[in-house]
Amino acid sequence: MEMFLDVLSQLAGGFVTSFLLFILTLILALPLGLLVSFCTMSKFAPLSMLSKLIVWILRGTPLMLQIFAIFYLPGILRLFIWPQMNTGWEWFDTTFSTRFIAALVAFAINYAAYFSEIFRGGIQSISQGQYEACQVLGMSKREAFFKVILLQVIKRIIPPMSNEIITLIKDTSLANTIAVYELIFEAKEFMVIDALIWPLFMAGAFYLLFVGLLTIIFGLIEKKLSYFRS
Amino acid sequence: MENMLEVKNLRKRFGQNEVLKGVSLTLKKGEVLSIIGSSGGGKTTLLRCLNFLETANSGEIVVNGKTVYRAEDGEKPELTPEAQASFGLVFQQFNLFPQYSVIDNLCLAPKLKAKREKQDRNEEIEAKARELLETVGLSEKANAYPCELSGGQQQRVAIARALMLSPEILCFDEPTSALDPELTGEVLRVIRSLKDSERTMIIVTHEMEFAKGVSDKVIFISDGVIEEEGTPEEVFVNPKSEKTKAFLSGGSK
Ligand SMILES: Nc1ncnc2c1ncn2[C@@H]1O[C@H](COP(=O)(O)OP(=O)(O)OP(=O)(O)O)[C@@H](O)[C@H]1O
Ligand SMILES: [Mg+2]
Repeated sequence: MEMFLDVLSQLAGGFVTSFLLFILTLILALPLGLLVSFCTMSKFAPLSMLSKLIVWILRGTPLMLQIFAIFYLPGILRLFIWPQMNTGWEWFDTTFSTRFIAALVAFAINYAAYFSEIFRGGIQSISQGQYEACQVLGMSKREAFFKVILLQVIKRIIPPMSNEIITLIKDTSLANTIAVYELIFEAKEFMVIDALIWPLFMAGAFYLLFVGLLTIIFGLIEKKLSYFRS
Repeated sequence: MENMLEVKNLRKRFGQNEVLKGVSLTLKKGEVLSIIGSSGGGKTTLLRCLNFLETANSGEIVVNGKTVYRAEDGEKPELTPEAQASFGLVFQQFNLFPQYSVIDNLCLAPKLKAKREKQDRNEEIEAKARELLETVGLSEKANAYPCELSGGQQQRVAIARALMLSPEILCFDEPTSALDPELTGEVLRVIRSLKDSERTMIIVTHEMEFAKGVSDKVIFISDGVIEEEGTPEEVFVNPKSEKTKAFLSGGSK
């Protein structure tokens, strides 16, 4: 019983880290994704080509690879640029917060790429007539987007978004590869140190409960937006 | 009396396809102009150019003696808010904002305008919206959402919405052709009542009987040129052009 409570509190601590990674990724990736979707829809060809290229790379390579790249690349570049300042591998002996930030940056840009495609699909599905009605009523493009278009887009992208966001909470477990002490990392510790397997399943239950909560929240949002059809 | 609207030699191309080949027309205050013509003739394009949803390649648009648009071939003049505000447009597909209630559909654009001008006119705007809803006979639907209305009701809301900004000239692009036949009457009645209150209007329509009854002027457009123009009697009863005769005798379409 003592063991159980011990595991529970360790895992709860890991879950807090997972949750932080999750929520901070969302806060960064949602606006960034919207910005990227504007870039890919831009009429200025170099900008749209460049952003499409970036989205392709981010969606086309494993997220784990991107985490490694963001974590190790600054150090490797530093070795190349100032070889005389070579301090060996010490530089990689990072604190928890730098590892957390590296993971966060990787998640944020990776998810921004996925979100941008969802936003693009949503924005392009709104009929031209909505924009035209705004224009003849003298609204600016900005007003049209934020006052008329955006909420319709949000309504349409809730189902694909909820899929992506549910994937995100589970993807945070990839951060354990660079020793961010998130949920799976903590559970693995019990396996390695105490030879216990059940903490891993308990970790699974944490995800399951959280995804249940997310499902309920998305259901509520969908219901809240069901008062109109577009 | 001065002309309220003068359109001079308006031309519009899509790629190589010249859709408006120099259209000129005039309209006095309080007059109703109907535009008829077969499909693909350029009626919608003309209205869209007047509302600046398309940029005419060349030509001039004068409202109340003031040039609001003038383009030589190849240039793209800046669109001013005053030019945009001179015209209102009612779309075939209504294009109401689905997430706003009827009253908010009417108030949104005027409130944003007041905000831009740093004025607090919310009460005045709402009062005007209720008055216009009364005019189109939808007072009791003020708090309904567009998806709860019939097509005819939606179109009447769209008309009220277009009137909120008091455009000099209100344009309609086939306002009843997306409606079930039994719903066209209510919309046409509203348009007729606007004529009685001296609104200047341009109506693209396939409803020949309606055009005959409501218009002061009728224009028949074919292949991007005005083939025939005149009073309803002149165009409908004694058309001069062979094309007009063929169009009018080929059913009303
Ligand atoms: N955005 C566009 N790009 C290219 N061609 C266009 C565009 N809009 C209209 N056209 C062409 O311009 C011509 C005139 O179209 P328009 O919609 O003005 O005709 P209309 O008189 O309104 O016809 P209808 O009675 O069917 O509504 C058509 O040949 C059409 O294919
Ligand atoms: Mg048309």
